Amino acid sequence: MKKAIIKLNRSILLGVSSFILSISCVQASSDIHKLYEDNCASCHGSDHGGYLAPALNSETLKGRSPTALRTLIMTGSFETLMPPFFGRLGDKDIRSLVKHLQSTPKLDNPPWTIEDMKASLKVYVKDESKLPAKPTYQIDSMDDLIGVAARGKYGRGSGSKAVFINSKTHKIVGEIETGTAAHIIDFDPANERWAYVKTDTAEIFKVDLYSMKAVRSIKTGYNGPGMGVSRDGKYVMAGSFVPHNAVILNANLEPLKVIELEGVDPDGKMVSSDSGMIIGTPYADIFAIALENAGQVWVVDLKEGFPITKIKNVGRHLHDAFLTHKGQKLMIASYDDSVVIAIDLKDRKIIKKLKAGCVPHVGGGAAVKIDGRTLGFGTNFGTCENNTVVSVWDLDKMELVKQIPVSGGTESPAAHANAPYVAVDIITKDRRARTIQLIDKKSFKVVKTLDVGGHAYFPEYSADGKFLYVSAGYAGDEVVVYDSHSLKKVASVQMESPAGIFSRGRVKYMTRGLSPDEME
Amino acid sequence: MKELLTSTVILVILTAASTAQAASIYAGKSTAAAVCSQCHGIRGTSADAPFPPLAGRDEEYLEMALKQYRDKTRVSDIMNNIAGSLTDRDINNIASYYSRLKIR
Ligand code: HEC
Ligand code: HEC
Repeated sequence: MKKAIIKLNRSILLGVSSFILSISCVQASSDIHKLYEDNCASCHGSDHGGYLAPALNSETLKGRSPTALRTLIMTGSFETLMPPFFGRLGDKDIRSLVKHLQSTPKLDNPPWTIEDMKASLKVYVKDESKLPAKPTYQIDSMDDLIGVAARGKYGRGSGSKAVFINSKTHKIVGEIETGTAAHIIDFDPANERWAYVKTDTAEIFKVDLYSMKAVRSIKTGYNGPGMGVSRDGKYVMAGSFVPHNAVILNANLEPLKVIELEGVDPDGKMVSSDSGMIIGTPYADIFAIALENAGQVWVVDLKEGFPITKIKNVGRHLHDAFLTHKGQKLMIASYDDSVVIAIDLKDRKIIKKLKAGCVPHVGGGAAVKIDGRTLGFGTNFGTCENNTVVSVWDLDKMELVKQIPVSGGTESPAAHANAPYVAVDIITKDRRARTIQLIDKKSFKVVKTLDVGGHAYFPEYSADGKFLYVSAGYAGDEVVVYDSHSLKKVASVQMESPAGIFSRGRVKYMTRGLSPDEME
Repeated sequence: MKELLTSTVILVILTAASTAQAASIYAGKSTAAAVCSQCHGIRGTSADAPFPPLAGRDEEYLEMALKQYRDKTRVSDIMNNIAGSLTDRDINNIASYYSRLKIR
């Protein structure tokens, strides 16, 4: 309390009375930026520049009614990730926050250096040799594991965890608490016992899947989802939105090299850039990383000095990508050009820019073999001219085959060699957001729309292709499991605000939908 | 405070209610999914949230509570505003939906 009062004196934004009156449910901290950092920044960005949620600063909130903003913060925004802060933050805190947000410009990137990272390394299991030699729960194959990023209602707290499910029994076999919302789960392709979980606030947890324990964690930045694991499991790479850098870690999560992300964008401007997707590939000992704003893809060789090859002018606002051709080719989406760019990771050159739909967001991507052709499926966020499609490309000829009309914007496709349908999640902000659509692999037509309840997103097939998992997110609070052929609901797994779903099978088939033989 | 809540919250309820006219549990489900779950969750609410859970509660109690919020004999800025726009039928639907849900 004393400390809080000393801090209070320094704070010009808070009146004394407001402090005394506010019986805040969070820590009694009068530091308004800390209040923002502790409650809002994981979604809105530590630099006030936006992240999973809109930017909140003096520019974006200019002229907005403080009363309306206070209401929104109190009740949350219905059917979005914005939670209700009523009862969690006192009225005075909310008032001060609104005032603070409306008077704070977007901040410069706060630094987070390699020393900061090193200092943040936590070791939970000192002697890894004492860990069990096999799974401590019943499971036929570790590929049957499905990891779900549970966000937790407030994007932090006891509901924020990585939840691991046996996709044959649909029962939870382990949970790793992550403090803030889990965002991405990557599996070690070389050793089935390890997985890595990255949070909204850029912590990475190394997880022992046999004992279902976190063994280590490190904070790699303030915000940013990008993460990849190398094919030999020896390196992990992580990239941030705040600050604009990426880091290569060894498998003990010790940082080896930090890379600043900046470059000349396709319009000739030198920009400092958010990190987009990061991907390891079965093709080579490399990582590929997208520089969102600089429109470049960098290929990092995992050898002495970690040399970088920069592929420039790839596209405007790059985000996510998937692999084809045994991991030699990368298909990366450019939001602002509405194209997906095929890159050859061998020559490190652009092969071709393929037309996509409106604002392509390929998620983890999907590819299926049909009548001898390898076809890629790409989802599209946008709804330009009311035209919402899923794009299909021939990945050998690298050409657009079809734009399949779907009922709204989409964000993530799922496919499996043994399942008849490609599933896509509709995200258009109305009741459609509660549905997924199933596209028949043969006819390229939507044959079924499923109302999953909650905000339905991130479909994923189990490794055997028998089941389709979908998050009923936001307040839906469950993962729903369907039989992949009959599309009948077979199970529900409860958790708080589930989002991304990641099958360990992915390391076998590289891109969802391909058979493991593609990887030979 | 009351006025400010009315605008956002009520609008959402009205749109949700107008599309829900089928069987009562279905209508209740759809209002719950669109509105109430924001705070109360469906099967359970977050351990970190300060909102009372509604799943599996006594149907008559839920109805009574909502009617009291509606006529303001029970005072809560948020719930008075939310319940204020609910019809008897809405209340009935929501109460029968939530009371039949299994708790998480
Ligand atoms: C779990 C993620 C999450 C957290 C945590 C979060 N928000 Fe949000 N917030 C969102 C999302 C998503 C939206 C967009 C909602 C929409 O589209 O209606 C949003 C919207 C808003 C808006 C409206 C912005 C606009 O331009 O209309 C404000 C203001 C806001 N949030 C304030 C806050 C404050 C203050 C906090 C912390 C006390 C906070 N948020 C915490 C996700 C979050
Ligand atoms: C913005 C958050 C919010 C929303 C949305 C909301 N509630 Fe509430 N609700 C509350 C709060 C806060 C309380 C506790 C109020 C009090 O102290 O009496 C509450 C209390 C209740 C209670 C009393 C529970 C008890 O144990 O006595 C019922 C019943 C209820 N709400 C039903 C609903 C229904 C039905 C809806 C949807 C139509 C809904 N609420 C939407 C915040 C909300």
